[in-house]
Amino acid sequence: MDREEKQINEAALEVRKKKQPSKKGNAIELVSHYCKGCGLCVDSCPTGTLLLEDNVSSKFGISVMVDAPEYCIGCKMCERRCPDFAIFINHEMEKEKQ
Amino acid sequence: MSERKVLQGNIIVAKAAISAGCNFFAGYPITPSSEVAQYLSKEFPQMGRDFIQMEDEISALGACIGASLSGKKVLTATSGPGFSLMQEHLGFAVMAEIPLVIVNVMRGGPSTGIPTKPSQADMMQTRWGTHGDHPIIVLYPAFSDEIFSETIRAFNLSEKFWNPVILLLDEVIAKAHEDIEIPEKKDINIYKEKVNVIKDLNIYDRNIGENPPRVDFFKGYPIHIDGLEHDSHGWPTSDPVIADKMQNLRMQKIYHYQDEIIKFNEYHMEDAEIMVFAFGVSARAALNAVKEARDEGIKVGLFQPLTIWPFPKKALQERFKKIKKILTVEMNMGQIKYEIERVSPDDVKKKTLLRANGIPFTPKEIVNSIREFTK
Amino acid sequence: MNKYEKYIRYQTFPTPWCPGCGDGIVLKSIAMAFSDLDIDPNDIIVVAGIGCSGRMPTFFNTNTLHTTHGRALTFATGVKLSRPDKLVVVISGDGDALAIGGNHLIHAARRNIGIKMILINNGVYGMTGGQVSPLTPQKFVTETTPYGNIEPKFHPAELLIAARATFVARETVNRTIQLKEVIKKSFQHKGFSVVEAISNCHINLGRKNNMKNPVKMAKWIAERTVTKAQFEKMTPAERDHKYPVGILQENTDRYEYSELYHKHIVTAAKESAKKNKKK
Repeated sequence: MDREEKQINEAALEVRKKKQPSKKGNAIELVSHYCKGCGLCVDSCPTGTLLLEDNVSSKFGISVMVDAPEYCIGCKMCERRCPDFAIFINHEMEKEKQ
Repeated sequence: MSERKVLQGNIIVAKAAISAGCNFFAGYPITPSSEVAQYLSKEFPQMGRDFIQMEDEISALGACIGASLSGKKVLTATSGPGFSLMQEHLGFAVMAEIPLVIVNVMRGGPSTGIPTKPSQADMMQTRWGTHGDHPIIVLYPAFSDEIFSETIRAFNLSEKFWNPVILLLDEVIAKAHEDIEIPEKKDINIYKEKVNVIKDLNIYDRNIGENPPRVDFFKGYPIHIDGLEHDSHGWPTSDPVIADKMQNLRMQKIYHYQDEIIKFNEYHMEDAEIMVFAFGVSARAALNAVKEARDEGIKVGLFQPLTIWPFPKKALQERFKKIKKILTVEMNMGQIKYEIERVSPDDVKKKTLLRANGIPFTPKEIVNSIREFTK
Repeated sequence: MNKYEKYIRYQTFPTPWCPGCGDGIVLKSIAMAFSDLDIDPNDIIVVAGIGCSGRMPTFFNTNTLHTTHGRALTFATGVKLSRPDKLVVVISGDGDALAIGGNHLIHAARRNIGIKMILINNGVYGMTGGQVSPLTPQKFVTETTPYGNIEPKFHPAELLIAARATFVARETVNRTIQLKEVIKKSFQHKGFSVVEAISNCHINLGRKNNMKNPVKMAKWIAERTVTKAQFEKMTPAERDHKYPVGILQENTDRYEYSELYHKHIVTAAKESAKKNKKK
């Protein structure tokens, strides 16, 4: 990870410090083979749930990982901002609704 | 019953398009083909068919492609400068295999040239105008009734082979008002075999010589049409194996059936020792010249191609077995003459009558050339 | 599978765009707009020109058409006139729409033909490796302005309004909910509509202007995003570097072109034909 990618993680951890774990559990689904490790989801998350990590098996050598799932509040900002359809929140529940 | 009328060539094209079921025209004004647009701008709305004048020839052909893909039978008409602007979209229509008819009324070139005088100098442009290897069908009537029948044939061939067809005219036959017999509806056969159902999304998957099992847009299938090289779905690919296969499929789609596509007339060829090869306005003068020369005892005949591309190579080589002299007459500085040289054996003597100043040949000039050729 | 994924053609994934490119966000926002309006995929066609944005139709599970550079609007005009009942969406980049395609853009706007254009403005030619475009900010370095861009950029909204566009809006790829909402409104608008989506090309434009990371460039965009009200209070000098967002023009009292043609021209023509027959 380069300097700017590390800064994205540091910012996420800063945000997480000011938050509490959410009461309602939310399902975070990663589609790893689509994730290009751009970090937009990490930047969008209002509670610092996600972080970037080096990942040899990913095409770009970097990808997102769920570092603190209990902090996820299910707001889906990460899902909306993911350009590659690589992260879904409560995806299963959506399926049953259909 | 059929009607006898005196009509301008451009209007004959428009009327034939209506008879062929054409229901979308997008064009741009240009001498000498504007009458096609003007006539259809009046007639089409009365039939609930679509007419639009676009902002240039590029957008005119673009609109035609969009309409053709949406189930319309489309036409545009232009001349040299506009035809040059249309080349990229002509290539797109070949690549995505889209039926459409482009009328190109040839005027003096190059550039702005002599807009009010005829020429036959776009012959090679119709074959090679757009970039890349591509198949093309180009028809070129000479006499007034042929303008009608070749327009119908242009639509039928473009629908049957999912390929653009260029209908060439020159300024004389496009602008001249002549009598013509408009056939009755029942005597005009229109090609209709468009499918509305496909078994899967492999809309470009077929064998050599077969047509793509394709449907138009909005038929309930999420089809993709692309100018990029594409796989059997139409999805972009640069895979060399697929690219090679697709190039051949597109080419063979036309050249596998060239005998069916190629059409020509011949006059007084039974015992001819000299063959005059002429098309469009030049064929009219050539026919009179051939008759005049025959009266003087010269054994000469006229070969008049209606299909320019694919070039009637087989038919000519058949005739070269007996006829050892060919006189090519064309209003340019030599274009089809290179095709003649390419297809004719060494023992055939070749002569040309060329002119590119906007003045069509007279029968007298052609007769003199025939006389010289007998020596 | 979320409802909006019904409009996505997963068989053609992964997308070819660079990690963090805004095009993927625009793709998703459009799919979400389709989903909110519950439109039958068969009634939708997505048309695009050439460029990074040009590859977007491949990923929609609707009728899709990838045309030539700058000419998507001309193909779409043919489609809309032939099938006025269909939702015709055109995706175009700033180069595709405002450089080579500029002439077709102003004519589509003037005609008010019911085409829904999404103009993705990332201020550069991305596909071809980062050349300057008509929307590249002045002084920016690109592959063809190594000494800084001297050309002033278009103000697309004013250009389109002057060309009589009846719906012009702008959003950014940072504001995904607002972007989807304004795209939805543009779909519901009768007539020609343009939604300009400010997007990030950090790999080409950003890299040469010290914003090589998508998050950093996203912040650069955010700092220039202002509301219409804020924009109106600014001095011309300040305005030049700002992107006012929201609906900038909405005029609903003009006929849509294909409706005008099919309802008025065709009926008038049929009447005059009847009159001539009587003579």
